[in-house]
Amino acid sequence: MIVEAGQIALVLALMASVYAAAASIIGVSRRSSELLVSGRYALYSVLPLLLVATAALVYAFVTNDFSVKYVAENSNLAMPQAYTWVAFYAGNSGSMLYIAIVFSLMAVIAVAGIRKALPYTSPYATGIMALVLAFLLGVMVFLANPLARLAIVPPDGQGINPLLVHFGMFIHPPLQMAGLVSVAIPFSIAIGALLANRGGNDEWVDQGRLWGMVSWVILTVGLMLGSWWAYTILGWGGYWAWDPVENSALMPWLAMTAFVHSIMVQKRRGMFRMWNMIIIIIGFTMAQMGMFINRGGPVPSVHSFAQSTMGWVFLAFMIVTLVGAVAVFIWKSDTLRSRGQLESALSRESVFLAQNVLFLTVAFVTLWGTIFPIFSEAANDTVVTVGQPFFNRVNGPVLLLIVLMMGLGPLLPWRRATVSHALRLVRVPLAGGLLTGVVLLAIGITRPVALIAFMTCGLVVTGILYEWVRGTLARHRGGEEYPVAFMRLLSANRPRYGGYIVHLAIIMLAAGAIASSFYSVQRDFAMTTGDSATVGDYSFTFIGTRHATFADRQEDYARFEVFKGDSYLGIMEALRAEYPAFRIASTQGAIHSTPIEDFYIVPSEFDREGPAIFRVLINPMVWWMWASGPIIVLGTLFALSPRRRLAPAVVPSRAGTVRA
Amino acid sequence: MDTVKNVLNIGLLTVLTLAAALATACLTVSEAGVPDIEQRATALNKSIMCPVCPGESIDQSQNSLSIQMRSIVRDKLGEGWTDRQIKDFLVERYGPSVLMEPPTSGFNLAAWVVPPVAFALAVVALLLTLKWMRMSAEAERQAEEETARDRGDYVSRIEDALNSDDSDEATSERRADGLSGGNPQQ
Repeated sequence: MIVEAGQIALVLALMASVYAAAASIIGVSRRSSELLVSGRYALYSVLPLLLVATAALVYAFVTNDFSVKYVAENSNLAMPQAYTWVAFYAGNSGSMLYIAIVFSLMAVIAVAGIRKALPYTSPYATGIMALVLAFLLGVMVFLANPLARLAIVPPDGQGINPLLVHFGMFIHPPLQMAGLVSVAIPFSIAIGALLANRGGNDEWVDQGRLWGMVSWVILTVGLMLGSWWAYTILGWGGYWAWDPVENSALMPWLAMTAFVHSIMVQKRRGMFRMWNMIIIIIGFTMAQMGMFINRGGPVPSVHSFAQSTMGWVFLAFMIVTLVGAVAVFIWKSDTLRSRGQLESALSRESVFLAQNVLFLTVAFVTLWGTIFPIFSEAANDTVVTVGQPFFNRVNGPVLLLIVLMMGLGPLLPWRRATVSHALRLVRVPLAGGLLTGVVLLAIGITRPVALIAFMTCGLVVTGILYEWVRGTLARHRGGEEYPVAFMRLLSANRPRYGGYIVHLAIIMLAAGAIASSFYSVQRDFAMTTGDSATVGDYSFTFIGTRHATFADRQEDYARFEVFKGDSYLGIMEALRAEYPAFRIASTQGAIHSTPIEDFYIVPSEFDREGPAIFRVLINPMVWWMWASGPIIVLGTLFALSPRRRLAPAVVPSRAGTVRA
Repeated sequence: MDTVKNVLNIGLLTVLTLAAALATACLTVSEAGVPDIEQRATALNKSIMCPVCPGESIDQSQNSLSIQMRSIVRDKLGEGWTDRQIKDFLVERYGPSVLMEPPTSGFNLAAWVVPPVAFALAVVALLLTLKWMRMSAEAERQAEEETARDRGDYVSRIEDALNSDDSDEATSERRADGLSGGNPQQ
């Protein structure tokens, strides 16, 4: 009964979202406020309906109702009870339901927010969001119904990929999916403003920026948790492999990073109106590309968890929205004239533009590498692989350039700087970068690429801290105590200083990535119980194994006693688990993590008989990468926290102070 | 003055902590003393794809074929083969897709050519856009200045005319005009 109620709710939700789209579009063309209100409430009603459908699916999982096809395919009696509560988004159609409910929640919040703030844009944006919802629900109702029943009820389900039965699954896939679909919100607001002929005044910018940053931070956390999961759970010692699905999650992140920067230029200077539309269209297209590649896309990947034949439906929808958005853009492009003007190439707005272009270049090159195997196969019938070494080589230098711009861009003032002024501004950061280089050279870091990369990081950190120190000192001279001066400095311009906090965290991330990719040490050891070995400062002894049997898996732990120099680090246990039903083995590294380096042991060939082979890694500074995650979130929240409306950028000019 | 130093010190400390962590990390690691041949094996493993596990290198994969391929790499290196020879050997066995990077010949050269070309085009497009935006801004400013100058001529002619009868109205008109022409941003 409950399952049938869920099925009905799903159909009603589809009808409600189709109605919401139609009522919003017709309502706005007939200027009927009744229709607009009813369309809005129809959109609101999708959320409770989807809650019913989701509750029904979760209920089916928790009660092991294998008459539901999706439950039978993605659960079994051996699945721990706790996981049955969240397993519903592990497969294809269930994850569609998850995406739909997350999106409907965001849409309700967004529409409630823009209804008053953007009265003209709101109906169009509501209509676009309703169309996206209608697509997701249509796919579910007609092609992949998660609540469909089976004719013959199996005694037990097939269970899910054991790699997904893990705490990491609670957070990484749902956040990643939420991040991808959330890009639709700023997209709807932007295109809605364009349709309402409001693209040329900047009233949509605050809401667009808010949702752009929400989307950006969800994507960021989703990506970082994915890396963290790969590093700590999947146990191969790395955290990023430029796998097609990783790339397809990275591309929208790159586009949204460009967007959250360039939208500031429109907010402060009334420029880049067309450009922001283009970027958000690219961002949404890339987010859909991500969903497409993840759902039965054309390229093989380690992430093929939610594989299905539905990829092409997503591709079709992506093409439809892309063509539609571009058509609207061309149709309305004459409403997007800039108010402000570019006064000099030596200004913050032009660095923002350059940064945008570089981000989109990385996104494009990543896309190119990801789909190149298809071209190659079509062109000369040989299958080639485009993997990690390729991406490191082609994207590495551009990413480094972006880090450099991150250091220099914010130092330049809005509008224009003279050459001598600009030189004066970058003097201290440059010195900081050079000093970093000298120090590192003195202690023996000689690989040129690593050295240049670290110097760039040093430059950026110096630039940011220098500005904080100068600002605090200036306020102190005005009579404030140092801590007060510092706090007031930060909260006087939250978008700016929140951005700086995020930039510092990005440097932590970059430093960790650079150190671990240039100076990681990896070595394999064949060992039997009682053997000892040494890597670097670490010595370790294989002291024995521990075995545990579970309903669905066999777990074998290898136990090590580990010393660093003379100090005892304790017992470390590396795990290999075997899932006979899936013929899959998974490993989990034992990690001793410090800010300086991680000592990492993972079994690579390990069963109960004979010598085992262990892989030992010393990964420098990986700790900093994970530590940067919370700081990025905090910095973003700080940048978004409301305080007061920012005055438009002010600079002294010949005619005295001029307000733009 | 102590507090000034404190603020500076906090900043300096952060940079130094990062640098020190870097330094210690890289120092310990470069002394780890992994034999040359193992370093080469690791590097090679990372550039070879596991033929049966989508998206993973043989360095990454726990698949039995990968384990076998890793030992092939180790053995061949032990026999003194070059990296090139080992890669060719594996390509002969498993096809060109066993390499993580596309070959630099024939159609596949495109994979390598497009990224730098895209970067160059992006930079050129950026420079042209910046130039164009500045030129249009410049043109607009010039147009405004011309209007202001024309108006200036007009005002001075009025002034000349008015100077002859030396009235107060002339001064007030001049002031009003001067003010309204002063702001190019409007």
